[in-house]
Amino acid sequence: MSYAYLFKYIIIGDTGVGKSCLLLQFTDKRFQPVHDLTIGVEFGARMITIDGKQIKLQIWDTAGQESFRSITRSYYRGAAGALLVYDITRRDTFNHLTTWLEDARQHSNSNMVIMLIGNKSDLEARRDVKKEEGEAFAREHGLIFMETSAKTAANVEEAFINTAKEIYQKIQDGVFDINNEANGIKIGPQHSPSPSLPSSSGGGAQGSGCC
Amino acid sequence: MNDYIENFDAHRGLFSRKSKEEEEDQGWKLFGRVPPKQGVAKPPQQISHEYQQRNALQNNNRPKKSDIEVMSTTALILENRPQNLPTKDPEEAERHRLQYEAMIEAAKKKEQRDLKMKKKHMQQQLKQEDQMLQLSKRWANDILPNWELTKRTKKTRDMWWQGLPTNVRGKVWKLAIGNDLNLTPELYEICACRAEDRIKQTCDSDTASVSDCSPEVSTSNREASVELIKLDISRTFPQLCIFQKGGPYHDLLHSLLGAYACYRPDVGYVQGMSFIAAVLLLNMDVADAFICFANLLNRPCQVAFFRIDEAMMKFYFQTYEEFFKENMPSLFRHFSKTNVTPDIYLIDWIFSLYSKSLPLDIACRVWDIFCRDGEEFLFRTALGILKLYEDILIHQEFILLAQFLTKLPEDISSDSLFKSIELINMNIDKKKFSQILASKKEQGKMEMT
Repeated sequence: MSYAYLFKYIIIGDTGVGKSCLLLQFTDKRFQPVHDLTIGVEFGARMITIDGKQIKLQIWDTAGQESFRSITRSYYRGAAGALLVYDITRRDTFNHLTTWLEDARQHSNSNMVIMLIGNKSDLEARRDVKKEEGEAFAREHGLIFMETSAKTAANVEEAFINTAKEIYQKIQDGVFDINNEANGIKIGPQHSPSPSLPSSSGGGAQGSGCC
Repeated sequence: MNDYIENFDAHRGLFSRKSKEEEEDQGWKLFGRVPPKQGVAKPPQQISHEYQQRNALQNNNRPKKSDIEVMSTTALILENRPQNLPTKDPEEAERHRLQYEAMIEAAKKKEQRDLKMKKKHMQQQLKQEDQMLQLSKRWANDILPNWELTKRTKKTRDMWWQGLPTNVRGKVWKLAIGNDLNLTPELYEICACRAEDRIKQTCDSDTASVSDCSPEVSTSNREASVELIKLDISRTFPQLCIFQKGGPYHDLLHSLLGAYACYRPDVGYVQGMSFIAAVLLLNMDVADAFICFANLLNRPCQVAFFRIDEAMMKFYFQTYEEFFKENMPSLFRHFSKTNVTPDIYLIDWIFSLYSKSLPLDIACRVWDIFCRDGEEFLFRTALGILKLYEDILIHQEFILLAQFLTKLPEDISSDSLFKSIELINMNIDKKKFSQILASKKEQGKMEMT
């Protein structure tokens, strides 16, 4: 399937907050109660429509353990959007947000859209971080915020799609230079200005089974 | 080894669907030998009774030579015509009867065919098991008692390549990994006890340790890694259902990882370790598993990766790429063009020694040869995987490549993988992996200064 744009996303946050489960819910619409842990990085992809345009999301799902930070840092490069995830039932995952944010800001392009996500909203009884706290943190740091549940799928679509809308808006406003791939945005094959992207013209157009 | 596979199957059985026999009063019946359950819902009982009688008759009439027992089929047959429909004219009824009989006959034939196939398959399996038994006898009687003399002979190495029989696997691994660190089961006990104390402490002061949020990174890190072990154990081979809370191996895995974090606080717990420890535990007792684990993680490649020594990891990746280029030049170019760098897939493969990415039985065979050939075999395996799927990979764009390599097909066949690994040449201009790695390190040093 052809697409107008391709956005690269990166999902970050402490280990065990549900990054892989969010991705699985978004790409496959299913929930795995016990998911394998992620070592290094895993990938997902899905096509969405914004403003009548087909947009392909290429999602990098990273390992959360502190030790892997130095490796995952290099994966920020060329990301247009980031989902920064914490677990509303574990306060320490919320406390670590500042270091994640520093990392993200430092190693990514300054226009990268960051969505803050408080995951596991279905576990209300075990809640350890108030929704207001998440909202306050997002406001303070200029992030979009949402509470989600990868289990019930609540807000999962919205989280991924609203991030894309924000990126799309930035393109419309001319904030993103779409001809510079370092911004994490690629123009779809059929839109590509003929001389600049010779390599992507063939393979990119083939639809992927996963989408 | 067989235990956990059985265990897994047993669990599967637990969740198998239950038949819904209650709802049929219109005469629909699953064709097959219905077990003569008494007290099942009343209306269809008569139908099934008649049906059984007829079936029994047919069974008796069947020629004796077919000792194949047809268990059931999945064909759905209308036994009695629903009463709300008008009666059929006799001609049509007769035609339908014939059709019905033909259908049953066809279904039976298909079943017999399937059964024959099954039997053949079983015979093959028996033959394989027999071979394995012979092999394991040779390992146990001839090779293991004279390990120092036999381990390097061509005969042993050839047999090794075929995969180790499960009952000697743990023993061979233990001998091959060795114990350069001179660890003892007593040391394991001490470390395990200390780990348990620490876990208790962190549990007691749970709220305190989180809220004071000490700036001292090293201690908070270590505590976090103890916490992390708990979180990760349930995410280690979740499909086997034996390491999860309440499962038979849960506490052992917890103790082993805790003990290692105590033994090597400078390394602590790093994700990926739980998979290695789990595979060892499935093949030997916990003290031996600890000793093997610690020695294995003390090897240069594992030291580089588990301490996230980026410079060293880079040298390994560069060396790997040399062999990639040598063995599959066009795929190598395709990977470079699409920006698929080795870290994207190799990190997972190396950290878990393939136990997370390949089916467990195949991963164990990789471990067998890793024990025989050392770290270069890990990279050779990676190239073998690429070689096996070369025709698919060469046409794919970045995202499909990345997805494929970080989630390999589950139906990968052990024999074809090992055949493709065999094709990978681990010499470049008569230089071995270790020599090229050494020269990469040398180059790196030169660039530093």
